[in-house]
This record gives sequence, structure tokens and C-alpha cells, in this order.
Amino acid sequence: MGFEHFWLSGFDQIHTAFWTYLAVGLQNGAVYAMIAVGYTLVYGVLGLINFAHGEVFMCGGFAGVFLTRDILGDRTGTGWGSVALVLAGIAIGALVSALVAIGVEQAAYRPLRRRHAPKLAFLISAIGASYFLQTLAGKEFGYGVNIFPGQVFEPGQVMFTLFGTTIHTITVVSIIAAIVMLVVADRIVRATRLGRGIRAVSQDAETSSLMGVNIDRTITITFILGGALAGAAGFLYSLQSGMVQNAGTEIGIYAFTAAVLGGIGNLRGAALGGLFIGLFGSFSVPFAFEGNVQWTEIYTFLILVLVLIIRPTGILGERSGRTA
Amino acid sequence: MSDQVTTDLIIRAEKLTLRFGGVVSLRDVSIDMRRGEILAVIGPNGAGKTSLFNSLSGVYQPQEGSITFMARDAAPLSVIGKKAHQIAQAGVSRTFQASRLFSALNVFENIKIGAEDHRGIGLVGALVKGPGTRRGEHQSDEVVIKLLEFVGLTREANLIASQLSYGARRRLEIARALATDPEVILLDEPAAGTNPSEKLELAELIRRVRDERGVSVLLIEHDMKLVMSLAERLYVLNFGSVIAEGSPADVRANPVVIDAYLGSSHEETKA
Amino acid sequence: MTMFSPANLKRLFLILVITAVVAVMTGTPGSSTASPTTGVHGSFLERVSWFGLFVAPRWLLFTTLGVIVWLVVSLYRPRARSIRRGIDTALALPKALATKRSTRVALMLVALVVVIFLPKFVHESFWMYLIVEQIGVWILLALGLNVVVGFAGLLDLGFAAFYAIGAYTTAWLTGALPAPALFHHPIPTLWVIPIGILAAMIFGVLLGTPTLRLRGDYLAIVTLGFALIIDDFVETQSGVTGGGVGSAPVPHPALNLGFWHFHWGITPTPYYYLCLVFIIVFIIVFTSLERSRIGRAWVAIREDEVAAESVGINPLKYKVMAFAVGAASGGFGGVMSAGLVGIVNPGLFTFQISVNVLVLVIFGGMGSIWGVALGAIVIQTATSYLDNYQPWGYQINDLYMYIGALLIIMMIFRPAGLLPSRRRAREFAAAKGDEQVHTDEVLTGDQP
Repeated sequence: MGFEHFWLSGFDQIHTAFWTYLAVGLQNGAVYAMIAVGYTLVYGVLGLINFAHGEVFMCGGFAGVFLTRDILGDRTGTGWGSVALVLAGIAIGALVSALVAIGVEQAAYRPLRRRHAPKLAFLISAIGASYFLQTLAGKEFGYGVNIFPGQVFEPGQVMFTLFGTTIHTITVVSIIAAIVMLVVADRIVRATRLGRGIRAVSQDAETSSLMGVNIDRTITITFILGGALAGAAGFLYSLQSGMVQNAGTEIGIYAFTAAVLGGIGNLRGAALGGLFIGLFGSFSVPFAFEGNVQWTEIYTFLILVLVLIIRPTGILGERSGRTA
Repeated sequence: MSDQVTTDLIIRAEKLTLRFGGVVSLRDVSIDMRRGEILAVIGPNGAGKTSLFNSLSGVYQPQEGSITFMARDAAPLSVIGKKAHQIAQAGVSRTFQASRLFSALNVFENIKIGAEDHRGIGLVGALVKGPGTRRGEHQSDEVVIKLLEFVGLTREANLIASQLSYGARRRLEIARALATDPEVILLDEPAAGTNPSEKLELAELIRRVRDERGVSVLLIEHDMKLVMSLAERLYVLNFGSVIAEGSPADVRANPVVIDAYLGSSHEETKA
Repeated sequence: MTMFSPANLKRLFLILVITAVVAVMTGTPGSSTASPTTGVHGSFLERVSWFGLFVAPRWLLFTTLGVIVWLVVSLYRPRARSIRRGIDTALALPKALATKRSTRVALMLVALVVVIFLPKFVHESFWMYLIVEQIGVWILLALGLNVVVGFAGLLDLGFAAFYAIGAYTTAWLTGALPAPALFHHPIPTLWVIPIGILAAMIFGVLLGTPTLRLRGDYLAIVTLGFALIIDDFVETQSGVTGGGVGSAPVPHPALNLGFWHFHWGITPTPYYYLCLVFIIVFIIVFTSLERSRIGRAWVAIREDEVAAESVGINPLKYKVMAFAVGAASGGFGGVMSAGLVGIVNPGLFTFQISVNVLVLVIFGGMGSIWGVALGAIVIQTATSYLDNYQPWGYQINDLYMYIGALLIIMMIFRPAGLLPSRRRAREFAAAKGDEQVHTDEVLTGDQP
């Protein structure tokens, strides 16, 4: 009976605040989608999970946080100033994350690639890179301390009201920025020469190198692209939640879940997967036992585990068609 | 009459269709293999030969069709849906196109791993080393020693696989496959990467696998001279379908085959 | 002149970048309230004493050190081959001795004597306690994970879960958890040992059966996911597990054989011997497993699963077996830790613990039992030293930075570890192909 009550009260909450949950879910989903694309792209060209991608996200987030703090000081952004700050934050986040991603590739992957090391070696050195970055950030910016960006908007600034629900500016900004960047990334991969290289290497690295694709360069570009998206996502995330040195682990796993859900290697799938995980996380909040938010984490991890066990090719299927 | 033929068969594959996404790699492929024969599957690159092998050995699962393996002392086994290791345990063994030996193990251990019984759990046996375990170890050692002799690698027993010549690696792979005591052995391009004299040795070895050990042989091979001298019957695959079947002489004379495959190969040999 | 060739200048640049990173790693920490560049700033500008000779800013010290390294490398490179040959000949005799059976037996006997009489020399119980808690328990964990990662090649990022199962089972059975007790009277801690080991093994089978079908990187993520689920679950279920606070005090184990009554008390020495006995047992068990057909089957599936299946090996069965076997010693580590520390809480079983154990295995040499034990001793001694003395401005949290760097460095320069297992070394050599890549070429990015 207690369970039934719990269940019904969950649906009750969703019923009364559906649009709020939807808005929060979309906002988180936008962030996860941008990170998930990085996992998927790197998986495409290297055939392995970049365990340090969550930390790439974290680094970009910190860059954006500190930039806006530096510019704003105690002031609060308004009007076009806010817009410019958001763009600057995204740009610096993307830049720093792209640089970090290059560093990770150069230090943790490239030497092993040269040697045709076994896959286990790549996974281990990637975990090493992830740990290194996470702890270095902790040393520089404090362990477990959440740092908020400068006040780009008034706290809780409402942009408009929809179906009686207030929609925050941050939500709208995050969603629009994500859509724009994801569309650009999709166009780059599908319609440019760079993208052709990435797709060729994803299909068959050996053949594409025979056809004159520079594999090292393509891999670097892939890391830059994935890193830039993750860095922008880091800044957008920090606008709502601030940034903390170990944010990469949890958010990274969420985004990875999204990438798997969409079929790893599949860019559009990753974006949709991100959206789904965002919405799922938001709508599962009313169903957390005793109001303990840790339960929403458990639910998302359960999705990850179940998808991997039951259907590791994802809901939309793997683009590259590798056998499981 | 037809009963007679069926009992004589060891593998019957009927109307196999295997798809990867939109790509069809086998289309309605039917193969009958008789007990004790050396049968070859030929065809141009990408014709579906290795897909066929992977289907027969349980690595791929064809979407349509059936494969039946008729072991000597057991009920016929439906191969599709079985795991690769179950098929290997039932008596269908195989080698790979690119040599897939265990580089961390030496030659002796590479064969021994095939000779060992992997059916039981054996955790306790491995720890306590009772008489049963010792007997098992002894038996597999005997098998390995005989096989080393059979393929001529006795002197190389303690080397690791990467120290062997190409020809020796291919022989080691055959020995490892034979160690599972199979009734059929599937050889995927056994002579790939070997020099002409090694090729002759391998042909001789494959013939001895059938003659001395009574194992039926199904092979894929690119080297036409080797195939024509070795195989008693051939299937020709092209674009995932069987386009011809028959003795080497028949196949050589078949215009469809010449058109699809041998034509180009003839020109190469002339040039 | 090769000294100033573009390749060599590029090398200088690379070395200086690495030096700068090292300077920041070892430099002043920043803080969450100050400007974000405080730490980096301090790391370069702080004036330090140069080995007591004179005082100058850190950037100068580190640049000088970088240039010295570069000079040494530049001078070494043209003679690299002959120097390497010289080292090889110098090492030939010790190597030949080390591979001899008699030397090995002698070394083992010496080691055995040392570990048996160690408590006679360590008088302070603080150090004895550290030896058991920081080294003994970790050797157990590393030996267990070595079966999973080293023998079977399965990257398990949630190994601490087995540790937790052992510890929580102990706490539960001795009545230290809020969860209803299984028996009317809490059972003595010592009887918990077999039950704790069994519980961890069963958990290994339960966790492994669905997850071990997955390929390597997915397995790593799923084990990580499970570890996080368990962590969250333990923290939220305070009514069962005691939540984030943990258990009530776990009693010290006691052994009552009627004629002989023994009590493990506050003094760590009895724990030391208990731990030592079990380490020796696990080493013997794992060594004989490695040499059995099970060990060979593990090699086969970690190297090439398809080829392993082609000789009739069921990969899933052997992987699950590796999980269960590895869980046994991890679970015992948990039992030990619960009895010794006297409390069980989620903080003891975090993802970081799993990574730490992985580091011990990799550093010592995946698949090498003696290597892993040695690796655990070396790394755990080093971390205990760093944590307790905090030299050169080291702070406890910094540990994982060095661990991360160590993982990368090991994978680049010595993937087979400190004392490589014979089989693993062959495998890494085979992966390299015919071309030997030497460390300096990797450093500079020259195409081999």
C-alpha cells in the first residue's frame, strides 16, 4: 500500500508540474547530448571509450566559470551584455576543452597507438588521464567545492511563461545553444571534407589510410570537435549548477549512457540519447524514495546497465555496424 | 537411395541467408558435405566464403536456413543457434584466415589448450590435483606429443608462436584444431602467406589429415593450383550465392565459373 | 649538429612542457576562494631553496632541470644502442640468476623469514597497524583483481564491491548493522571468514553472469555503473546498512577451540599473522590455477575470444569463474578490514579504491602474482609515507594525481609492469609487432 501511494504521489507531482519537469529535462538533456556526441565521435575513430571525456567537460566548464567571474565581478549581466557573456563563456569553454582533449590524445592515446597496444592498455591510460585531470583541478580549485560563474543573468530570471509555467532564461539559452552546436557538428561530420575523413576512419581505418586520409590528423580533429562540444556544455551546465572538480565522473557517465542508448558511433543517436537521459532524470525525481535524489542516479545507472546488457548496440543501432 | 546419401553426409547446410544491416553476404546457400571428403569452397574476394565458414562454426548466426552436423555417434546437431564453443565441442573444428594463435603461450601449450576438456568446471581439480586431474593432464600431453609429431613441430615445442615461420604457424593452427578431436575441420585459407615449398608441405599435411586421421576437410583457398590438386569436390560462390558445384574438372569447364572467377585468374597465370 | 636539429628542439619543447606540468603538480595548491590562477602562479613564481645552495623562483629551477634532462637525453641518444647493450650485459648475470629455480627458492625463503619476524622489529603498534591495513589488505585485493584483469583480461572498475561485500557481511553477521541479524546470537568474526568469502564469490557469479558477455570497454563501464548503484544504494538504505555513517563497532574476532582460546584484540600483530597466512594461501591457490588448464583457458580468452571458442572454450564460464575466484580474496580483504578497523562504511569502498587496486596490479605487472604483491608493497608503502610525512608540500588529496600520471606512464613505457609475467610480456611484445619502440622515440613522437 505504501508503494502504491508512493507511485501515485509521483504521478501526481508530474501531473501538477509537468511543464517544469519537461523544461528541466530538456535543459539537462541539451548538456548531456553535447557531451554524448564527443563519446560517440571518439568511439567512431578509435573504437574505444574515452574515459577522460568527462574531465574534458569539467575543464571547459571551469574556464567559462572563471571567465565570467573575471569579467563580471560583483555585477550582474543584463540584456546584450548577457548574450555576449554567454557566447564568450561557450567560446572559452570550447577552446580550453579542445586543448585539453588534444592533450589527452597526445599523452594517453597516441603513444599507445604507435605501438599497437592492446585495448586494455588504452582503457587504463585513459582512466589515468581522467584521474590526473580531476585531481589537478581539485588541487587548483579546491576539492569538492562547487564554484559558480559570474551572474550572467539575474538568479532565477524568467524569460517567459508557458502553460502557466515560468521558463527560465538559462533553460532557453542552453537549449538554443545546444541545438545550434549540434546541428553545426552534424553538418561538419556529414558534409565537409573533415567529416568525410572522420567517417572514413570510423568505417575502416586501414583502408582510409591507404586512400590518403591522414589518420593522426583525423583523430586529432575528432578530439577537438568532441572536446569543443563538451567544453561548451560544461559552461552551460555551470550556469545552472556551477562546476566542481569531480563533476566529470557522474555527468560523464550520464552522457556515456546517452551515447550507448543512441547506438555508440551514431552522432544523431547520441544527441537523442542525451535528450532522453535528461528527460528521464528529470521525470524520475518525483519517484525518488523518501525524496532522496540519489535514487534518480540509481535509475539512470540502471538504464545504463540494462541497455548495455540487453541491447548493447543501442536503440537506434550502431552506425559503424561493428559486431558486439 | 536418398537415405543412403543422407547418412553419408556429415554437414548439410540448407538455404542459408546471412545479412548485415542491408548487406546480404550469403543468399540461399546450400552445401552438402560427405563424410571423409576433401571439399573446397572457392570464389572471388567478398563472395561470402568466410561468412559461410563463420556461419558453420557458430561465429555468425544466419537469419534464414538450417545447418545440420551429423556426428558419427550422436544425434544430428542443428548448428544455428548454438555457440561457437558448443559446435567445437561437438566435433567441428576450424582455423582462421589470419593466423590467430595465442602469443602468450608456447607451441606445446597452444596445442594443449585444444586437447583439454573444457566441459567441466574443474576448479577443485585444478587446485587439488587428484589422480583424475593428473590422468587428464597426462592424456592431453600425449595428444599434444602425437600432434606435434604429426605436423612436424616436435623440435619447436618450446618456442612461442611469433618465433615460427609462416608455414609453421599454419601447421600449428591445424594441430590446435585437430587437438579437439574433430570429425570435420574447416580450413580458412590454410596456405595464405606461405612460400611455394611450404604450400606443398601444407597440401601434403591436409591430405594426411583426411587419410591418416579420418577427418573430413572443408577448405577455402585462393591458390587455384592447390585447390585443384587437393579438393575432390568444389563449390563456387559469387556475390553470396552458389554458382557451381562439382569435381575440379567440371568446375574448370563450367562457363559460368570461368566468367565469374577463373577467367581473370587464367589471365593472371598467363601473364 | 644534431643537438639543435628540429627534432631535438621539439624534444626540448616537449620536455619543458612536461617539466611545467610537474612544476604545477608539485607546486602550491590554489583555493576555491582566490583567483583561479593562484596555484599555477605560485607554482612558478614561489622562491625556493635549491638543495640548500641558493634561493630562486621555481620556474628557473624547473627549467634548469628540464634543460639538464634534455642535454642528457641528447647526449644519450646517439649512443643509445651501445648504452642499452651495456645495461643488458650488466643485467645478464642477475637476470640469469633470477630465472634459476634455486635462486628463486632462496629469495622466497628469505622473504618468508623476513615477513614472519617482521613484528619483532616493528615495535610501534601504529606502524604495525598500517602494515596490515595499508599493505596486507591491499595485497589481498590486488591478488584478487589480478585474477580478473591479469589472468582473464577483464577490466573490472568495481572491484571494491567485492571488498564491500566481505566487510558488510562481516558487520551483518556480527550484529553491527541495523539490518535484522540472521542468527539469534551474532556469530564470532572468525567464523565469518568462510561465509564472507563465499558471499563475495556468489556475488561475483551474480554480477558476472549478465555482464561478462560484454566486450571490454562496455564491461568496464557496466562494472563502474554497478559499483555506483551499490554505493548509492548503501548510502540511501540507512535502515539496513547504516547509510553514510556506517555500521556499529564490529567486534574483534575470537577463536575458541575449547582447549585453546584466542582473541584478536587491539594489538595488530595477530591480525598481521592472520593476514599473512591468507596471503600465502591465496598465492598458492592462484599460482596453481594459473598453471592449470583454467589458467591456459584464461590466457586464450583474453588474447582472442573467437579463437578460444574455436577450441571449445566457453568464454562466459571462464570469465565468471575469474570473477568468482578474484572475489574470494577481495571478499577476505573486506572481512579483515572490518575486523581490524572495527567499522564499515561506504567511504571504504569508493570508485577510487577500485582504481587504486587496479594501479597496484598494473604497476606490479598484470598476471604476475609476485609482481602484484611487490607492487602493492611498493605503492602502499610510498602512499603511507606520503600521507604520514607529507614531504615537499604534498597533500593527501594529491595522491590521485600521481596515480593517474603513473597509470599513463606505465602504459607507455612498461605496460607489463615491474615484474612482468612471462605470458603477459610475450603478449605485449607480440602486440608491438616486429618493431621495437624505444622509450625516447615515444617521448619525441618520432615515427619508429
